[in-house]
Amino acid sequence: MRAASLVVLIAVVLPFVLGQFWAYQLGLYALYAAAAVGVGLCWGRAGFLPLGQSLFFGLSAYLSGLAFIAFQGHPVVAVLALPFAALVSALLAYAIGVVVFRRTGESGAYFSMITLALCLLAFQIATSWNSVTGGFNGLKGIPGLPGLDDISDVYYVGAAILLAVLAFAGWVYAAPIGVLWQALAQNERRLQLFGFDTNQIKSLAFGASGLMAGLGGAVYAPQQGIVTPQAVGFGLSADLVIWAAVGGRGNLIGPVVGTMVVGSLTAQLRDTLPFWEVLMAVFFIVIVLMFPKGIAGFAEPLAWLLRSQRDRLVVAAPKSTAARPPARLVLDGVGVHVGEVTILDRLSLDFDAAGIFCVIGPNGAGKTSMFNVVSGELAAGSGTIALGGVNVVGLPPNRVSGLGVARKLQIPSVFPELTIADNLAIALWSGRATKLQLLAPRLRRWTSPMLQELQSRYPFLASGTRKAAELSHGEQQILELAMALLTEPRVLLLDEPCAGLSPEETGAVMEIVRWAAKRLGGAIIIIEHDMSLVKELAEVVYVLHNGTLLARGSVAEIQADPNVRAVYVGGEK
Amino acid sequence: MTAASLVFEAVTGGYGSTTIVRELTGAANPGEVLCVLGRNGVGKSTLMKLLFGYLPCMGGRVMLNGRPIQGLEPSARRRSGMTYCPQERPVFDDLSVRDNLTLMRASRQMAPFRPYFDRFPVLARRLSQHAGTLSGGEKKILSFVRGIAEDQPIVLLDEPSEGVQWENILHMEAGIKEKKAAGTAFVVVEQNLAFAERIADRYLVMDQGRAMLEGTPAAIDRSRILRHLHV
Amino acid sequence: MDPLIVTQAINVLYAVSTLAVLALGLAVIFGLLGVLNIAHGEFVMIGAYCAYVTQSNGWPYLAAVPFTLAVCGLLGLAVEWAMIQPLYRRPFDTLVATWGLSLLLRKIAEAIFGLGFYSVNIPLPGTVQFFGTEYPVYRLVLIAISVAVVASLVLWYGGSRTGSRIRAMVSNPELAQAQGISVRWLAAGTFIVGTCLAGLGGVMVAPLVPVQPFMGLDYVLRAFFVLIVGGLGSVSGLLSGAVVIGGFDSVISAATNAANGYFAVLVLSILFLWLRPRGIIARG
Repeated sequence: MRAASLVVLIAVVLPFVLGQFWAYQLGLYALYAAAAVGVGLCWGRAGFLPLGQSLFFGLSAYLSGLAFIAFQGHPVVAVLALPFAALVSALLAYAIGVVVFRRTGESGAYFSMITLALCLLAFQIATSWNSVTGGFNGLKGIPGLPGLDDISDVYYVGAAILLAVLAFAGWVYAAPIGVLWQALAQNERRLQLFGFDTNQIKSLAFGASGLMAGLGGAVYAPQQGIVTPQAVGFGLSADLVIWAAVGGRGNLIGPVVGTMVVGSLTAQLRDTLPFWEVLMAVFFIVIVLMFPKGIAGFAEPLAWLLRSQRDRLVVAAPKSTAARPPARLVLDGVGVHVGEVTILDRLSLDFDAAGIFCVIGPNGAGKTSMFNVVSGELAAGSGTIALGGVNVVGLPPNRVSGLGVARKLQIPSVFPELTIADNLAIALWSGRATKLQLLAPRLRRWTSPMLQELQSRYPFLASGTRKAAELSHGEQQILELAMALLTEPRVLLLDEPCAGLSPEETGAVMEIVRWAAKRLGGAIIIIEHDMSLVKELAEVVYVLHNGTLLARGSVAEIQADPNVRAVYVGGEK
Repeated sequence: MTAASLVFEAVTGGYGSTTIVRELTGAANPGEVLCVLGRNGVGKSTLMKLLFGYLPCMGGRVMLNGRPIQGLEPSARRRSGMTYCPQERPVFDDLSVRDNLTLMRASRQMAPFRPYFDRFPVLARRLSQHAGTLSGGEKKILSFVRGIAEDQPIVLLDEPSEGVQWENILHMEAGIKEKKAAGTAFVVVEQNLAFAERIADRYLVMDQGRAMLEGTPAAIDRSRILRHLHV
Repeated sequence: MDPLIVTQAINVLYAVSTLAVLALGLAVIFGLLGVLNIAHGEFVMIGAYCAYVTQSNGWPYLAAVPFTLAVCGLLGLAVEWAMIQPLYRRPFDTLVATWGLSLLLRKIAEAIFGLGFYSVNIPLPGTVQFFGTEYPVYRLVLIAISVAVVASLVLWYGGSRTGSRIRAMVSNPELAQAQGISVRWLAAGTFIVGTCLAGLGGVMVAPLVPVQPFMGLDYVLRAFFVLIVGGLGSVSGLLSGAVVIGGFDSVISAATNAANGYFAVLVLSILFLWLRPRGIIARG
């Protein structure tokens, strides 16, 4: 709260310190800054780059301008239209996100190019639709906001909007959705495997940024009295990206600093310093490649001083909605072909609802592919995969996860830049938090009995403020395993959980696996090459070869099986 | 071709933060075959990748004729006299068999390959076909011929016999023995013990990323090797 | 034959063939190296400005070609070394970096030439009788050149040793390195081919469009649409994309206006993205 009070204080005092001229400038730039915060949200948090953000700023500006002109005699009605103008932009942004993200998945390039294209299209429409937008010369004669004639009023309106946007951003950044955005940027696949619909989460981020730009644009119209096509132009879109980057896109205040500092400097120096714009471009490239934290990054130590003590009380999480009776996983005739290569060949596997099972086999046998097809990341061309009787073929990964399947990937896959506490919280939210609850910051303090048991076994899991990237390799394996266990799955898929671990660490993992089998009462399926592990843990062993099941039985049975021996040791024909 | 030797000392490495192989030591001397045996997943291919420069060594060193080569990238090692035939994706599927063989040669003449075509007529039959249409074993044969036809002093083969029929495995054995007589040094990763026994001068048996057994075939009990190969 | 239809048909042919050349540079870099060079349009812009400079110095128009190739080639090499190489495994950072590059190139053009439009005179003015209608000579020549450029590049890529090595490098980089192909140099060379093709496209269209710093945006977007619709990774994809986008744009712009043409093309691309995300000719 200390930081927030300081910001409000600065905002109130600024015009007295800087004088009328600057107050007017900053009043305008405050609106741009609101849009820049939205760019910071998409780029710095959620990890995608919108190149045409002025579309939303300008759209809301035109709508608001038209409303003010239409309701000239009734200024109060016009003011009520402001939030609607902003909302239109928010909804449009969300819709665009849904359409584009669904099809392009993790390819950020497609999204960026399409936002660019839409921005240019909007500019064309604004310039040519004379009857509505006033064409190239713009929409003129927009009446001002009622009761505000003074120049410093212009400033205060702008500042108020900016503060509202910052308050909104501060709230969502602290809420679970804000953590999910960051997680998405770091490891989208992992987030999907926890049951989150990442396309929708990205669309929400884009929608929120549209709202922010829309608020700025809606107030821009009455504040300036005129809206020209420049408000939807490429130039403004480019400036927003530059200001967000230079100020520090990952930071809440960063884009504001960037807009105020760079924006005002540019307005002043553009005519006096001939190569100022070129310098700015070079500066942008250098910052983006070498100092991603921007100006705000240099002020970070200062921010630490303002940090208030966070409430450490934990909150009990509700029971997992995925808590269901154990389920048998049955693959029947599953076939996967990629081009001419057969990856899985009419594979039929039948796992009991409870127990520890190991899947072994030579390279290319299809073990990881089998996991991929169960978790929904690889499409099965034929056959069925039943989980407790429900066919999961064709379901996207987040839906399969929702049915109670958890997965630990071969290479430790956590959210490296998030704290351990946030990593574990994400696992708790999976399957338990409703969509609305994701807006409540208190969810970040959730805990569960299982988490507390894990934390007592492995104290490092309780060191809440350390980043996951700081952990050793073995600790990251255990963290990821803990996260998978916290979702209390019915079927736990472990892909080489002991790869790269020392013998002690391997022993620790084996212990957790045994403990988890008893505690969860579900099925744990492990892909392993380490035969000592298989011998210790496996109740049933499945041997895969060339994409199909070669043998199944106890360790002793498959050791005696001549087919298995032939595959492992080779032989003469 | 001037003979050369490859020596690796206490080599440790893996992917990212994951250590797969630890403290591996061995050598391939001119005219010798070092056979690396082990179940899959123990790190045999990782060792090959460390020897050829696809992965950096976290510890230990690799030396070519006494010169440490840790800093060299794979294409540079190829130019220094090492040949590598990978286990996965052994050929260029999009190119013809002919192009696969002659990609880095000065001319597209098939003359240097005649002796190999005599042993493996399947290649001669499919010269203009896309390598992607070959069976798994045929791809391995193509990769093998490309490799030894490079005539380099050090040859690294990763599971050359995988998917190959026994009669062709015997032809491979003949090819390797010919090259050995001319002074080539081989490091061959294998899971097929019968084939390994026919070509190896020394064994390095791996398990869990480490060297378990080392020495000449005469010095190591076959049953001990089997224990590390079988489940 | 009705002269109006002939004119329309040649217009479509002109739109498709020039679009194919302009998209080729982006296709090479995106399809082979997996890098989306947002600054692609700026290399086209550089080509156009080179043409302007050539003409205003009184040199023959053809001299613009080696001039552009030199500028785009050297610039491409510098960019590949400084920006693309270090960011190969980070596609998002590459996107941001090339956007920054496009910004920088635009600002440099602005600083040197100013924001105004320049006109480049058509080197082969006049019209010619063609199937019962009068058609500008220069455009016919451009069609011929475009076809020649695309055809020769395709033949070279499929038939030459270097072409095979590039295909090898793209499909199996590990094995390519094992055989001694220095992937770094080959990738750099491929990038430079892409930027030079863009510059060449700029020289070609300079006499027909206003030359100004922001001209590149349109080209990179159109090239991008061609790739969405046609699919990455194959020549038939590029051509089918060029046919669809160029054809649509040409016909609708002629029937209504340029803004509608652009709108139609944008909607079409989004439709393709939605319904057939890998394009008409999806590969591998």
